[in-house]
Formats: sequence, structure tokens, C-alpha cells
Amino acid sequence: MSASLIGRRLSPLLACIGLLCIWQAAALVLKTDSFPTALEAIRAIPSILGDHEALLNILDSLRRMVIGLVLAALVSIPLGLMMGRSRAIASFFNPLLMVVYPVPKAALMPVIMLWLGVGDVSKTLVIFLGVSIPIIYHSFQGAKAVEEKMLWSGAAMGLSAPQRMFRIVLPAALPEILTGCRTGLVLALITMVTSEMIARQNGAGNILFNALDMAQYETVFAMIIIIGAMGIVLDAAFEKLRARLVRWSEPDVDIPVSFS
Amino acid sequence: MSVVPLRPGVQTEPSSGHAQPVAMIEIDHVSQMFETSGRRSHLALSDISLTIEDGAFVSILGPSGCGKSTLLYIVGGFVTPTAGRAKVKGRAITGPGPDRGPVFQEFALFPWKNVLGNVMYGLRQQGVKRGEAEAQSRRLIEMVGLKGYESFYPKELSGGMKQRVAIARTLAYHPEVLLMDEPFGALDAHTRTRLQNDLLNIWERDRKTVLFVTHSVDEAVFLSDKVVVMTRSPGRIKQIVDIDLPRPRRRADLLLDPHYQKYVVDIEKLIDDVLEDELHP
Repeated sequence: MSASLIGRRLSPLLACIGLLCIWQAAALVLKTDSFPTALEAIRAIPSILGDHEALLNILDSLRRMVIGLVLAALVSIPLGLMMGRSRAIASFFNPLLMVVYPVPKAALMPVIMLWLGVGDVSKTLVIFLGVSIPIIYHSFQGAKAVEEKMLWSGAAMGLSAPQRMFRIVLPAALPEILTGCRTGLVLALITMVTSEMIARQNGAGNILFNALDMAQYETVFAMIIIIGAMGIVLDAAFEKLRARLVRWSEPDVDIPVSFS
Repeated sequence: MSVVPLRPGVQTEPSSGHAQPVAMIEIDHVSQMFETSGRRSHLALSDISLTIEDGAFVSILGPSGCGKSTLLYIVGGFVTPTAGRAKVKGRAITGPGPDRGPVFQEFALFPWKNVLGNVMYGLRQQGVKRGEAEAQSRRLIEMVGLKGYESFYPKELSGGMKQRVAIARTLAYHPEVLLMDEPFGALDAHTRTRLQNDLLNIWERDRKTVLFVTHSVDEAVFLSDKVVVMTRSPGRIKQIVDIDLPRPRRRADLLLDPHYQKYVVDIEKLIDDVLEDELHP
């Protein structure tokens, strides 16, 4: 293993350790109850993860997040692709999306709770809304950029319009779509926590805010670390999947083979 | 009375009674108008009529903006002409179909498929079984000189290799007409010459009808049976030049051939006239 490779592998770890050191030092200097040291927070993690109830809560959160994200992808990808290929569809949906875009989706949570209760449906819906727009936008951009001649080549082979959409536009736009999904994944995590902050029933966000109410600051910060770690792990897992799916599009460091 | 099978994108014409062999492509008083910005419209093609016989290699030559690519797109069924119509084998063209295979300057390969996947694509679409499609595609890949590169992805190939794949991909589904839109325009001079030679070798095996758009005079003369010289603004046919040079042709042999040189010079003069007419109408 070369030195640069070791460096690349180690640097994220070093960054995390560095951050924890700064935290530790800052907490020691400030000495307030509401800001535990990094070590105290880390010591509180096993008791959360060891607690059956808390673990179920976190898994509930993850389940809602995944369902919201998958549903959003199932709706947003086809919509974005159709917008990218049809100017009429794009000009119909664009103003609607521009209205929805700046609204913080979690701010809709109280209204949605009135309609659909405080249960899974409301929270999943908020996650769905929170992640849809970047996925739509990236699918739209991806579909718009598909080379016309590629579609013509498909048409000449006898592909019908729906077949061209599914078998040419979708794979050609996949790198861009997955970029949107990756943004969506992080947003899903954020919306997940926020939704549980407003609809305090269960979930990772609920543990965090309950602990805050009861002034259990070690637990609060431990939950922040856990949620952050979930983000890193999910993102890394998704990135692995993405890289596998679109290996054909990655710019290569290898020099392309060449003869005329 | 026999029933003509319908091809996708092509409508059968009512029988006209005579049973003579029809021309492969008939372009009949075709005009093409484009809307440009500022509500001005631009006449890209004006009243073009042209007949291309079965098995002929015909080049369309002209300065950029003469509508030569548009004419090819109309034959491909990718663009619907504003006026007039085009027919293939006597049937009106209403859309793209596997009887007319395009090869574009931009290659337009499917980047998520490897070389074999690209070449097989049309055959699989036509319902050919995987094993058979793969065997045929491997033969074609070998024919275009890419044996050993079956599992390479387009991004890993040079421009010349990509165009070889594109040619194989189109030949794979056995179109009766090849529509080549400046296929070698993006390639360097050496690659271009090699591909021209190889294209002729392939073409001389089965003599498909080829419609070849280019702005290179020597490329047109070297490859074609007929060179259609066009003017621009609006795009019209200036003259059709029959190239009466023996086949098989090798580029290196032709360069010193006085007949070849005469064709090149004559057509260069025609193009000069075209450009001169634009300046002093």
C-alpha cells in the first residue's frame, strides 16, 4: 500500500479525531452543564444503543426515512425524466415546483399532522416532500442533457417512445439521477429528525428532544453523534452503490486505449 | 397479389400497377423551413428532388449550413419535411425504422453498454436470441477491426474506435440503407483515411445503399458513385456529379490518378462557384 493511499484512508479518521479533540477542549474551557465533553457524550452512546426501546426508536426512524426516500424516488425520477424530455410537461410543473421549493417541508408538519395524525404517515410524507425536489431537479437535468442522436439511434433500431424513455433516457441520465438521490438521502435524514422533533412520539429525534427536556445533555450529544454517524454510514454505502451502477461514466485516471 | 409486409415507420403506398424495381430512396420536392429567433424563418432546403438507386454510394456535399444533414435526417425519418415527401422502396417515410440505419459524427453510442452490448442492441431489439445476437455481433466487431475490445466501454475508446463501434452497431441490424452524417468529421486525418478505406472494404462486400453527408471533397470523390453538390441559403442541388472510377478503390492508389484529380478539381470549382454566387448574387 502506497503512502498516499494510507494517507487517503486515514484522513477522514484524523478529521473526526481532530473534531472530537476541539470539542473536548472547548467543553473543558466553557464548563457548562449544557455542553458535556466529547468523552462524556461518547460514554453515553453504549447505554442508548444497548437500550432495547431506544434501538427500536432509531430503527423506526430509519424505516420511515427509507420508505419516504424510496417513494420519493419512485415518483420524482419518472416526473423529472418526463420534464426533461417534454417542454410542455416541464413548463406545467416548473412553476408548481418553484412555489413548493422554498417552503421548509418541516414547517408543513403541523398542518399535515392535523390531517393525517402524528403517526408514520405524516412523518413519511414530510420526508417524501423534503427529498423530492432535488431528485426531480437532477432527473430533469439528466434527461435534458441526453444526446438527441442517441435517441435517434434507438428509434432507428425500432424502440418505441416509452422504450426510449426507459431504456435510453433512464440509463443515460442515471449518473445525474443518483447525484440527486445522494442529496436526497442527506435531506431525508435531516427531515426525519425535524419531523420527530415536531411530532414527538417516537424515533431518534424524539430521544434527542426528550433528553433535552430532561436536561440529559450527555444523551443529547450522544444522539447527535449517533445521527451524524448514521449520515456518514448511509452516505458511504450509497456512494459505493452509486459508483458500482455508473462505473461506465466515471472519468478514469487510466489513459483510454487508442488506435485509429 | 402479394402483400408487402409493413415496416415500422413506413406506410405502404397504394399500388401504382407496374412491377418495375423501385429506386431505394426518392426525395420528392422536399422543402424544410426552420423557425429561428426573432420570428424569422430560415429556408434550409428548397424544393429538393433526388433519386438514389439500390446499392449506390451517394455523397451529399456542400458548405456548412446548406441543409445536407437535414436532408439525411428527413430520409432517416428523424425530421418531417415542411413540404414534399421522401420515400424508401416506394413507401412514404413517416418515422425512423430499422431499414435505415444512421451513423452520426457524434458516434451517439450508449455509454452504459460495452462494445459488445452496443453492437448487440439493435439485434436484441429485433427479437434475435441472445446467443445468436452475440455471435453475429462478435463477427461484426472483428470485421470493423475491434476484436479483443468487446468488453471495453465507450469512454475507454479513441474517437476512431468509437466510430468503428457505431458503424458495427448500425450494420448489425441489417439496414438496407446506411445514413452517414459526417461520420469521420470529428477524427484526425490519419484515422479518417483508415476508416474511409475500411468503410469501402466493408461496403464492397454487400453494397448497401449509402447516403453519406460530408464537406470534404476528396472524401466524397473517393467513396462515392455520385456526388450531389449543394448550395446554401436556401439549400438547393447545384449539380450531381457521377464518379466513374473503378472499384475496389484504395486511397493511396487514387491520389495520383488524373481522373480522380479531375473530379476533385471540378467539384472544388463547383463549390467555389457556390460561395462566389453567395457573395455576388
